[in-house]
Amino acid sequence: MTDTPGHAPVKSIMPKWVRGPQDFVGGVALMAIALFALWASSDLQGMHGFSFGAGTAPRMFSVLLLGLGAAIALVGVFSEGAHLQTYHWRGPLFVSLAILSFALTIRPLGLVISAMASFLISALGTPETKWTETIIVGVCLTMGCSLLFPYALGLPLQLFPRFLIP
Amino acid sequence: MELFSNLALGFGVALTPMNLMLCLIGALVGTLVGVLPGIGTIATVAMLLPITFGLPPVGALIMLAGIYYGAQYGGSTTSILVNIPGEATSVVTTLDGFQMAKQGRAGPALAIAAIGSFFAGCVATVLIAVLGAPLTKLALAFGPAEYFSLMVLGLIFAVVLAKGSVLKAIAMIVLGLLLSMVGSDIETGASRMAFNIPELADGLGFATVAMGVFGFAEIIRNLDAGAEMDRDLVQQKITGLMPTRKDLIDSYPAILRGTVLGSILGILPGGGAVIASFAAYTLEKKIAKDPSRFGRGAIEGVAAPESANNAAAQTSFIPLLTLGIPPNAVMALMVGAMTIHGIVPGPQVMQKQPELVWGMIASMWIGNLMLIIINLPLVGIWVRLLRVPYRLMFPSIVIFCAIGIYSINNAPVDVILAGAFGLVGYWLIKHDFEPAPLLLGMVLGPLMEENLRRALLISRGDWTVFLTRPLSATLIAVAAGLLVLAILPSLRAKRDEVFVESES
Repeated sequence: MTDTPGHAPVKSIMPKWVRGPQDFVGGVALMAIALFALWASSDLQGMHGFSFGAGTAPRMFSVLLLGLGAAIALVGVFSEGAHLQTYHWRGPLFVSLAILSFALTIRPLGLVISAMASFLISALGTPETKWTETIIVGVCLTMGCSLLFPYALGLPLQLFPRFLIP
Repeated sequence: MELFSNLALGFGVALTPMNLMLCLIGALVGTLVGVLPGIGTIATVAMLLPITFGLPPVGALIMLAGIYYGAQYGGSTTSILVNIPGEATSVVTTLDGFQMAKQGRAGPALAIAAIGSFFAGCVATVLIAVLGAPLTKLALAFGPAEYFSLMVLGLIFAVVLAKGSVLKAIAMIVLGLLLSMVGSDIETGASRMAFNIPELADGLGFATVAMGVFGFAEIIRNLDAGAEMDRDLVQQKITGLMPTRKDLIDSYPAILRGTVLGSILGILPGGGAVIASFAAYTLEKKIAKDPSRFGRGAIEGVAAPESANNAAAQTSFIPLLTLGIPPNAVMALMVGAMTIHGIVPGPQVMQKQPELVWGMIASMWIGNLMLIIINLPLVGIWVRLLRVPYRLMFPSIVIFCAIGIYSINNAPVDVILAGAFGLVGYWLIKHDFEPAPLLLGMVLGPLMEENLRRALLISRGDWTVFLTRPLSATLIAVAAGLLVLAILPSLRAKRDEVFVESES
């Protein structure tokens, strides 16, 4: 299921003193998230007396996460661990693009166009796509969804572009 | 007897044609999606959540319960036939199930999985009915401090049972807690970390995050491996569906043990189905006369984990219905669904809306019965579905998820957020962080904050309140004990061994 660490790039971009890059980077990223959350909740009211303000709990959890992130990063420094795994760009890129395109087009263009377009974009996510069958399946799926969601399930989804509807 | 009148009430609700229909559709659709490799129970429930929105609350919950069992059963089918566990609970089923399928005994393997699940389901249903009322009374004795401590215990359980690093699991929980803070503060209404984005004012939708880190992230991860996943599909026709007499005699003690183990582990917060199936398999292997048969197609290796995971799946409704605390990520989704229908799970529901609770409990049993009836004849169809190549399946899943998220609030921003969380989930997988504790933390976050605040307000700022109230102190002590045990090297080694063994 997961890539074995041994197959990861042998030449690590990490400095030598980092023995478990996977943990180190993970921990540092969590610390960054925690710092960001601390900053984002800095404008909120803190404790007044013994009752919590709006900002108390977020700051409490941020500090906790900061500590945990640091601990994970330290584990990455001091103990031998897995290398960074290789990232692929094709799958993530096209799946994200498909999701983005769906989100942007569903309102103005309606379900039919938006679903079909996202289907084709996400199909780009793998080199193994065969276009004829993909298009056939895409058309069938779009038709199925157009019947299933608005009619069978009664969800308020618009099917066609807004400017086509009088 | 109160118990019987309650169950009668429940069956009265569940046996209406409409609810029977919903239960059937839920189980069918759940199996259909659960069979698809790479889509687990959580993703299935998240994906199918929107289709229940138009229904009345009772119907919606019954259908969701059906979807849940269907997804579980679908997962076992995939494990047995293609050696790809559809979800974590059926990982161990692949070990012996797939071997049985290779030996041409896929039929008995599937049948025994269904029979075991059904038996476990029956026992668990009775257990819920019996334990529901007393636990609700206990719940009424719970103050904010006890609730908070119980949730801490639940989260610690989730940590101890998660695989891999304890530290990382705790970090994921805290990250989930932090994510749950986004939105409006419950008491003051102040906007927290929402950056004036109106869609964030209500907080991050739970289904949105779940769909992102489980649905989209899984798809992206699967694409990494190449769309044409190595699928050892059992090609020969499945014949001889029914298990032989010997199979039944071999497996019934395993089913019994699995059921007991699963029922107990399911009730514990944070436990749930995954660990139950692992534990049941390990137990069978330990007490077997000839352990070497395991991994080579021993029918007990299918019967025990399947019974255990179904029993646990069902009894995990107990903490949800009685205390309002979701013990695992799937139950957390159920809470989300309930809130959408205006139901706040907890002891009050049991008293104020008995027809809802008992109707759901009764429909669990009916759902299990339906699974056994519909799935055995339909195995052929599921097999055909498994032959659909992934290159066609994944764009369809993307579209389905996108429509599903969009239809929750009719908000395009939710879709974008889910996409973003998909990338986050992909990153988490790459760094060996488990997303399930994150989800649990996210659901428990608001509850924890509320009870923490209240407890401290009542105690006038005295933090020792969690240790001076006996019930709360006990819960905290158990949590601390568990954490220590999890960190102790001897137990860690054993725990890792269990997981390693079952994954190889």
